[in-house]
This record gives sequence, structure tokens and C-alpha cells, in this order.
Amino acid sequence: MNAPDRNPGRSPGRHRDRMIGLFLLAAALFNPPLLGLFGVEGRVLGVPALYVWVFGLWAAVIALAALAGRTR
Amino acid sequence: MEVGLDWTTVLIAALAYLSALFAIAHWADRREAAGHSVIASPTVFALSLGVYCTTWTFYGSVGRAATLGIGFLPVYLGPTLLMLLAPLVLRKILRIAKAQRITSIADFLASRYGHSPLLGGLVALTATVGVTPYIALQLKAVAVSFDALTGGGGLGPAEGPFLDHGFLIAAVMALFAIVFGARQIDAAEHHPGMVAAIALESLVKLIAFLAVGLFVVWGLHDGLESLFDAAAARPDLARLMGSDPALGHAPTGNGPVGNGPWGAWVTTTILSAAAMLCLPRQFQVMVIESVDERHLDRAVWLFPLYLLLINLFVLPVALSGLLSFGGRVDPDLFMVALPLSGGADWLALLAFLGGLSAAAGMIVVESVALSTMLCNDLVMPILLRTRSRALARSADLAPLLLAVRRIAIVAILLFGYGYFRLAGSAYALVSIGLISFTAVAQFAPALIGGLYWRGATRRGAIGGVTAGTLVWAYTLLLPSFARSGWLPASFIADGPWGVAALRPYALFGLEGWDSLAHSLFWTALANIGAYVGLSLFDRPGAAERAQAAAFVDVFQPAPNDAAPLREAPPDWRSAASVGDLTRVVARFLGPQRAERAFAGAEPDEPAGPERLRLAERLLAGAIGGASARVALASSVSAGAVEAAELLRMLDETSDVIAHSRELERKTAELERATDALRAANERLTELDRLKDDFLSTVTHELRTPLTSIRALSEILHDSPDLDTDQRQEFLAVIIKESERLTRLINQVLDMAKIEAGALDWRIETIDVGPALTEAVAATEALFLERGITLSLDIPDHLPAVRGDVDRVIQVVVNLLSNAAKFTPPGGRTRLETRLESGFLRVTVTDSGPGVAAKDRELVFDRFRQSGDTLTGKPAGTGLGLAIAKRIVEHLGGRIGVADAPAGPGPESGKGAAFWFTLPLAGNPADAPEFGERRE
Repeated sequence: MNAPDRNPGRSPGRHRDRMIGLFLLAAALFNPPLLGLFGVEGRVLGVPALYVWVFGLWAAVIALAALAGRTR
Repeated sequence: MEVGLDWTTVLIAALAYLSALFAIAHWADRREAAGHSVIASPTVFALSLGVYCTTWTFYGSVGRAATLGIGFLPVYLGPTLLMLLAPLVLRKILRIAKAQRITSIADFLASRYGHSPLLGGLVALTATVGVTPYIALQLKAVAVSFDALTGGGGLGPAEGPFLDHGFLIAAVMALFAIVFGARQIDAAEHHPGMVAAIALESLVKLIAFLAVGLFVVWGLHDGLESLFDAAAARPDLARLMGSDPALGHAPTGNGPVGNGPWGAWVTTTILSAAAMLCLPRQFQVMVIESVDERHLDRAVWLFPLYLLLINLFVLPVALSGLLSFGGRVDPDLFMVALPLSGGADWLALLAFLGGLSAAAGMIVVESVALSTMLCNDLVMPILLRTRSRALARSADLAPLLLAVRRIAIVAILLFGYGYFRLAGSAYALVSIGLISFTAVAQFAPALIGGLYWRGATRRGAIGGVTAGTLVWAYTLLLPSFARSGWLPASFIADGPWGVAALRPYALFGLEGWDSLAHSLFWTALANIGAYVGLSLFDRPGAAERAQAAAFVDVFQPAPNDAAPLREAPPDWRSAASVGDLTRVVARFLGPQRAERAFAGAEPDEPAGPERLRLAERLLAGAIGGASARVALASSVSAGAVEAAELLRMLDETSDVIAHSRELERKTAELERATDALRAANERLTELDRLKDDFLSTVTHELRTPLTSIRALSEILHDSPDLDTDQRQEFLAVIIKESERLTRLINQVLDMAKIEAGALDWRIETIDVGPALTEAVAATEALFLERGITLSLDIPDHLPAVRGDVDRVIQVVVNLLSNAAKFTPPGGRTRLETRLESGFLRVTVTDSGPGVAAKDRELVFDRFRQSGDTLTGKPAGTGLGLAIAKRIVEHLGGRIGVADAPAGPGPESGKGAAFWFTLPLAGNPADAPEFGERRE
């Protein structure tokens, strides 16, 4: 019944803990105090820095989420 | 917009696209039936979650970005955050939904809180009221974008003969929903065709958005840099590139936390995360349609990636639109208007189809989810209660169920269409997305709480959802009506009847907040407050507690479902028969399924709890948990048992399961206690055995001298003519044996006294030298007799120690006589003293066989006989060393045995060194001085 959890390749508890950590990190990064702090004026390769910052963070979080599921 | 496509072309393209969706759905259903599921893929699952992105994303994001800059993003960051928690929350929900055969979020909540039909109905109703306007928004978006594409004018619905595209779209969507969402009553409530179509639609709207974005950036402008350069030249647009419109400046210290855009950002993030979980359509695709919970693993990152990609070009499109059109075109229509003005008609058509996809996916899934909910949790419970007689006569209720669902789908879409016609471009429609999110967010506390808090109860959940929904209606829905002009504007400005404290946007004087943040605060306060408060003071029944445990403990291994139910209470036998159950199940799921479920049982056989539960589970998959119970009760009530009685039995059944869980836990505890008891018992048995051994040893020891005394006495008695020398010799033996006897008895008595704590101790400062000398004198004869050399190494001035002179002598005597016993004739024994820090150490070294390392602890045990293991015959009572140990320990010293140090002489390699220590009296600082002098 619990076969999916018993997948010997990786530990579900570890994966879960990592995802919770990632959630806390993302929740802090995506919200005003930090976002306002890093959302500076200026442009990166012509694109507004804030825009680059938010999408870059977002992409990094997604990449980490994908990695967390793969590595042990 | 002067240009435009011919409306017939657009209509044909739209209809062709929708037909293609029908074909895809039909194909997926066929593949599923043939056993080659196309939706059993994590990628398809993740794409189907894309139903989250409606026209509100496709058209509305650009509109939001045109006023808020980056402020359109929290609606997508919220779901991203929720997906990160998927391994924790969603996995549990999926597992529960599968175990309980959940059919909708209303069913989930109703099942969690004791199969409450009231809660299920309440949730179904709230969801319908909250979400139907959202459907209206989709219809409007399609209609307006159609107008924009065909040149009918981009601002609001114009009048005209073919303008009712909204109705056309609603009709086609209803047809689709009915064909692929309510074609048959299925115990698992899976709709593979619908899911496949949704996944494809997600792909189409993503491609359309990216294509338009690329065209705008590199077709209309020379890349991102030139676009942003152009925008930066305009102060009103340059604003949108910074964080001010969305976040404002960091709040100054005196403002409330929820003040200004900060509050809006955080609120929107929270609301969209809650909506991702609680929107009926999201719950449908994420939980109900899920075929494998492992698919979540990929969705965790693939779905956020989807959200990121579809939002990548939102700001560029918004800026480009503002640059091109200024205020002439509604920013919500830039997606169609920009390609059109750039001469790319085909791209405009693709954008329109993307928007149509977004609308169609949302409308179809939402209406199917809502109709399931309305049917299972609102209509059926009412019908089963009020029309149970009429229903009982019908042999097959599946057509009735399907009819209810189809009518519900049509009604929902008609309701949405009516709202669209009525509200038009009013504020109520424009802002309905977040208002809907807030409505469904009212389910979140009961949903999340129900997963982890066992003590959450039905009354708490009903109270929480009711309170939250009422506050929501007052702080968001009614004001939106007022802003649309359906209520007087003074309702917002001055409050109802001019009561300022009741102003819906500043309830109880909470002013200066963003209206969403304000509503979220008050609804959360009312909802969570009522939920927690009522739950804490509630006493749920056994059945409700059992359901709570089944949800909260879903990952714990379930007890064998059937085993604890075998012993049914006697009243089961008089209850429903197998025939009754077969009839009920057949009426909802068809006769074949019923025959299969109850195969191998005679119709007259009593159903028993196992089969009753099986029937309940089967029915729950089709009509929801709450209805299933009512259906079972109402159908069987025509027979022998009353409905109430049967419900009670069902409750007891789940209660039995909860009890068996409890029982298993207790059994484990009992086993642990038994183990401890067994260990204790083994120890006692061992002690008992040792005691027996001791007794037999002691008796044997006592008998040996007694026997020789008696024999010699008899000889003396019977032979009066024995010569004097002989007589003297016999008497000497008798005396010696008597002494030995006395010594033995004294030892046993000593031991008994020490054990009982009855010994008189006279602990004082004593001089060890004389005590040692006395002990040596008492044992000298033994050594002489056996020809053993006893050498002494006792300094003249030993420091004083704390102790009892008599007892110290006894210890030394015991050690010396022990050495005498084990040293072979001609061997040597040595008594010496040494100073340690704060202690005087006395050692008796012999040249006997020594003590094996494993026996070193044991030789001091009370009942151990070192002699028997070493020489084969008992050499003492086994009490001497035990007594010595107890005395030394009582005096605060230690005792032990080591190998004799190697020395001169052939036999000195072997031997034992028994030692003990006594605490020095007075200042131990004298010790080193003495130690050096001694060496």
C-alpha cells in the first residue's frame, strides 16, 4: 500500500525536508522586504533589474526544486 | 483598430479548434478504454494543472502589468510556493482522496468532518456562488477578444446580431463538459478525455503567449533593450519598470503593516496559493483526476516552470501596448490588438485561440467540478431525504445522477452567462478573479487543519466556513455590487445606514488597508477563530473521531480492514441482507458492478459490516461520502432496519476500525511490558537457583565436619579401651572440626546480618598496623600447617584510616585464609600495603592458580564458590569474599582481584592478588611523604 514511499532509491523524508526549506527560502525571497531591497533601479542587458531579479530567483527556485527530487 | 479579420473566419477557426479538442478528448477516452492511458504521465499531469491560467492570465495579466508593473506576479508566485510544499500537503491529500474515494473538495471536507451533508452542501454552495462570476469573466473575455479580432470594437460588448458569442461559447462548453465530464457515473470519477484536452489547451495557450511575446519584442521592436529604452523615455512607463507601483516605498514606521501595496502583494500571494488548493477546478485536476501520486514529483517543478514561461513576456507586451496605443485600447486586449496592428493577422488569430483555450479549459473543468459537487453534496442528499420512497422504486439511479449533473452544468453556465450579460463591464466582473479566490480561500483552514489536527470538528468547520463566507460577502461581494451601481455608493463611503464602523472597506475603523488585505484579515480572523474556537469546545461523536483519524493518520499502516470486523455485534444479523446492498449499489453503479462486488454471497445472507462498508465505499466513489450513507440508509429502511439504526451501524463500523487501531497500539505496549516481565522473571529464577546452590553447599560444608565429629565420637564412645594417644588424637580432630563448624556458622550469621543491615558498626579512626598483625596471627597456623611461606611488607608507621577494627581484621583474615586455601603447599603468600591518593591499599598476593578474568566479578558474589570451578571440590562456604566485599564497601573502600605480579620463583607467574582499599583519616596530604619514605 505504501509502496511509493518505500522507493529504496531516495529518502522521502529528506526530500520533504529539503522542499520545506526551499519553500521557506522562496517565501522570504518573493516577498516585500527582500524584494523591495533587491529590486533596485537600473538595467541588466537592457532589461529592468527588478524584472531580471524576480525571474532569475524564480528560475533558481524551480531548478532547486527539480534537483531536490533527483539527488539523494 | 481599423484592421480586423472576417468574423466568419474567426468563428470557423474557433469551432475547428474546439472540434479538435473534442477529437482529442474522444481519442484519449478510447485509448484509456483500450488500456493505453495517455494521461498516465507526469508531464500531462503537470500540464493539466495549467488550467490555473485562465483568460485572467492570458489577457488580464497584461492589463494588471499595465497599471501595477511587476504587481501581476504574486498570483503566480503563490502557486509556486504551494507546489514547493507538495511533498508535504498535496501528497497527503492525494492519499486520503484515494483511500476515501473523494469526488470533490466539498466531498473531501464533508468526509473529513464526519460525513456531514450540511458541510458538503455549504461548501458546494459557497464554491458555486464564489466561482460562477469567474466563469462569466471567461465568457466576457472570449466575447471581447472576438470583437477586437473582428474589428467589432475593443471596449466592452457591443450590440449586434452575432455578438452573443458569449452564449455560443457557453453552449459549446456545456456540450463539452456534458460529453466528457458527465457521460457516465464512474466509481473513480476519472475523466481521461477531459484531462487530455486540458493538457493540450495548456500547451496551446503557452505557445500562443510566447509567440505573441516574441513577435512583440523582436517584430514590433528591435529586441528587449530598445523596447525598454523606449518605455524608459516615458516617465509614466518608466514607473512600471521599477518596484513602486507594486511594492511602493518601504512603509514608514507609523503606517499599519497592511498599508499600501505591500499588503496587496502579500495578500495576493497568500490568496493565490490558497486558490491553487481550494478552487474546485484545481482540486479536480490535481486531486480527483490524479492517477498516480508520484506524478507530483515532476509537477513540483514543471508547473512553476510553466507559470514562469507564460509570464515571461507579460511586461514587454504591456509596455509595447502602452507605447503603441496609449489609452485608446483596453490593456486587457493588447494580446490580440498588438499582432493585429503589426499586420500579423494569423498571429492575432493564434492569440485569440490561446485565449479561447484558457477560457475553455477553465469553464469545462470548473463546471464539471461544480456539477459533481452540487450533485453529490447538495442535490442528492436532499433528494434522498425527501424523495426516498420514489427513489426506492427506481431500479437504476445512474440516469438520474447523470441528469442532475448535466442540468447542473447547464445551470452553472447559464448562471455565468446571465451574470456576464447583467454585469457587463461593471466593476463586479473585472475584479471577480481575486474576489473568487478569497471566497474559495475560506475552505483552506478547514482543509489544512483537517489534515493535521485530529481535534478539528464538524461544528468548527461549519462555523469557520460560514463565518468566513459571510465576512467575505460583506467586505468584498457587496462592495463590488455597490461599485457596479447595484447598491448605493454610500454603502461603501458611509457604511450601511450611515454607521461608519460598518463600512465594508474599513470594518470597525480599520482604515487605509488595501481592500483585499482588509477582507483577508477579517475573513481569516472570523474563519479561523470560529473553526478553532468551536472545535476546542466540541465533543465529536465516535464516527467523526474515526474519520478524523482516518484523515490525519493516512500514512500510518492501516489495520487489516476486514480482520477486526469479523466479530460483528449480534444486531448485524438482523440488519440489511446482501440482496439489499446489491440492489442499492446496482441502482447507482449498474448491475454488473454490483454483481461483481457481492459475488459469491447468497442474497438472503445478512450483509455484515464488511459488505456494508464495501457498499459505502463503492457508493462514495460515485455520489460522495455524505450521499452514500444517506442512500444506504434510505434504501435499506424499506426492509427490516430503520434508517437511523443503519447509520448507527455504519458509524460503529468505522468506530471499530478506529478501535482496532487503538487496540494495535495497546497490544504493542503490552508486548513491551511482557518482555520486561519475562526478563525480570529470568533474573529471579537465576537468583533462586544460586540460592539453592548455596544452601546445598552450606549444608554440605556443615555435614563434612559433623560427620567426622560424629564418627570419632562414636568410636570413643564404643571403644572404652582405646589407648590414650589414640584418644587424644581423636579428640584433637573433634575440637578442630568443631572450630571449623563454628567458623562456618559465624560466617553465615555474619552474612545474614550484613544483608539485613543489622550489624553494629563502630567506625572510628584506627591504626591499621596492629589490625593487620592480629589478622596474620590468627591465620599463621593455617599457613604453617600447609607449609606456605607468608611474607609481610607492613611499614612501621601506617597512617590512620577510617574503619571498624574488628571488621577490618575480619576482611584481612578472610583474604588470608582464602589465599591459604588456594596456595599449593610450598607456595608463598605476601601481605603488603601501599598508599594511593587518599586511600590505603592492602594486597594479599598468592601463588595459587589465580582467578580467570571472567570470574573476577563473580568471586565476590554471595553464592559463588570459586573453589568448585577451579579445583572441582568446594573449598569454602563461598561467603568469605562476599562478606569482605560488603564490609569494605560499607567502609567506603573498594575491593578487587588482579593477576599476581610476576616475580622470582617458578610458580610466581601464576597466582591472584586480592586487594582492598580503606579511606585515610584526616589530611590526605601526608600521603605522598609517607609513600616516598616507604619506598
